[in-house]
Amino acid sequence: MKGNIIKYAKDNIDTDVIIPGQYLKVHDYAELATHAMEGLDPDFHSKVKEGDFILSGKNFGCGSSREHAPIALSHSGIKAVLALSFARIFYRNAVDGAFLLPIEIDQDAYDEISEGDEIDINISANEIKNITKNQTYKMKPFSEIIGKIIAAGGLFKYKPE
Amino acid sequence: MGKTLFEKIWDSHVVVEKENNPSLIYIDRHLVHEVTSPQAFEGLRINNRTVRRPNLTIATMDHNVPTTDRRLPILDQTSAIQMQTLEKNCKDFGIELFDINSPNQGIVHVIGPQLGITLPGSTIVCGDSHTSTHGAFGALAFGIGTSEVEHVLASQTLWLEKPKSFEIRVDGKRKNPHAVTAKDIILSIIKNIGTSGGTGTIVEYSGEGITDLSMEERMTVCNMSIEAGARAGLVAPDEKTFAYLRNRKYTPKNYESLVGHWRENLKTDTNAKFDKTFTLHIDNIAPQVSWGTNPGMTCDVTESVPFAEDYSNGDQSQKKAMVKALEYMDLKPGTPITEIKIDRVFIGSCTNARIEDLIEASKVIKDQKISKNVRAMVVPGSQMVKKQAEEMGIDKIFTDAKFEWREAGCSMCLGMNPDILSPGERCASTSNRNFEGRQGTGGRTHLVSPVMAAAAALEGHFVDVRQLDLN
Repeated sequence: MKGNIIKYAKDNIDTDVIIPGQYLKVHDYAELATHAMEGLDPDFHSKVKEGDFILSGKNFGCGSSREHAPIALSHSGIKAVLALSFARIFYRNAVDGAFLLPIEIDQDAYDEISEGDEIDINISANEIKNITKNQTYKMKPFSEIIGKIIAAGGLFKYKPE
Repeated sequence: MGKTLFEKIWDSHVVVEKENNPSLIYIDRHLVHEVTSPQAFEGLRINNRTVRRPNLTIATMDHNVPTTDRRLPILDQTSAIQMQTLEKNCKDFGIELFDINSPNQGIVHVIGPQLGITLPGSTIVCGDSHTSTHGAFGALAFGIGTSEVEHVLASQTLWLEKPKSFEIRVDGKRKNPHAVTAKDIILSIIKNIGTSGGTGTIVEYSGEGITDLSMEERMTVCNMSIEAGARAGLVAPDEKTFAYLRNRKYTPKNYESLVGHWRENLKTDTNAKFDKTFTLHIDNIAPQVSWGTNPGMTCDVTESVPFAEDYSNGDQSQKKAMVKALEYMDLKPGTPITEIKIDRVFIGSCTNARIEDLIEASKVIKDQKISKNVRAMVVPGSQMVKKQAEEMGIDKIFTDAKFEWREAGCSMCLGMNPDILSPGERCASTSNRNFEGRQGTGGRTHLVSPVMAAAAALEGHFVDVRQLDLN
């Protein structure tokens, strides 16, 4: 899966800035997407392209349980968020609805990958390749549980063995 | 080896457990509100599913309800639609709803315990991160997203990974429990362990500092577990817990025999091991005030806004985050906290809008008037809290002091209804999150206790509330 990076080099990006509370009344996902990241980066909507990835620091998606957060990012075109760590409800919401892939990366990848870099994510190899800079990093493998829900295409498609 | 309280509750709710697979966990109570449920009900309809156990599901409206006169029409049409949608969904699927005109309406985490829906040893979920509040009763209670809401509606179960266990001991005694509150205890904990200190864990709060607390104070502590990144927080139930839940509207008929069972079983074994531990000594803790844009960015009221070098301890990303936070908050390092002037005061939210919170705050303002530079409001956590306060005459104390006295709801905690800060306004708030824009675009939030919020309303700035006579 290939895409370009939009980098927010900070920790604790909360769901209130990913989609501010006043938009939780919006049910049209296309409209919701126009307000994605509005609390942090008002230019996000104009710069995001289909297939882009977000790169960020620790505890991404902390705060409110609003599933609107991964939905707004997903409908903006974001296919994956690469972060040093995730808040649990956001992580699970992203996977449950098959909205986007939450990928945990290490410090080197976080430091060295820059805004605009083209990245290739290879889940079966647990590898992230920076095509722009010709560097390869390991991603933290999904737990078996999360891997199975992702492979099934979301919580409602997951069937226990 | 013994088991922790969390493990005991978990084990007694496992429906299916296989190695390397998620566990299917039975859910005893599902609380539903208007904001995170519409898509879940829609999913049921599309797939021709019903609600598996409507009698274990309770709904109310809290997030976007107006807090002004309930007889007036709702001006915000999108909010009105969300409320009508919940009404229709509850009717179609046979779920009991406390709507905007119900005497039981209120913030879902305030009414659960008040109605006796929250029970020790049970599993409770809600599409809201502050579901951790119910852990104060020894319940395993946590927030979920809308996909999981749909899953619980359809099956009364959830596929979960077993979290780790984390014991937070609170030792010692507060010298002035009216001025140094439960809010100050939990803010001190988050200040110490950080906003991701509890990630992936269920926190059990223990020690004298916790058992000394009233049930409502324990709720304040458990409520903010999520702000430390934890899935849930819980406290082993004791006689205070059992007394609180006795004779409530939904208290089970066989309550006394349940109490016997809980008293016997709902505690961590002495030889149990936690995955992680932390101890806070509270003998000398001070009232807390947050200065930044996450709840960990907090200090004593007697301190000053920290300098980036001191706060970040050499961590460059922390330093950057702090500089940015101070820029957003329009604060300079070295400014004494007591010199920070405020424009607004909000006493409300699932963290601090129960009757004890309102009583404590009212003691501060009795027979006084708020600063002419401040606009202040009280939003009771539920209509039951509001009624109780009015019967005690507390509403009068607030209105005499020029506070606005509102109807129940989440209100200015998350800025979904018209109760919001204007850009640049600075608020002393008893809520739980000081994130950028949380209380309105450009609004600046300082998290404090109800007593501190009340004192700040009078003075127009923060004060060391230990110096007030609060007895």
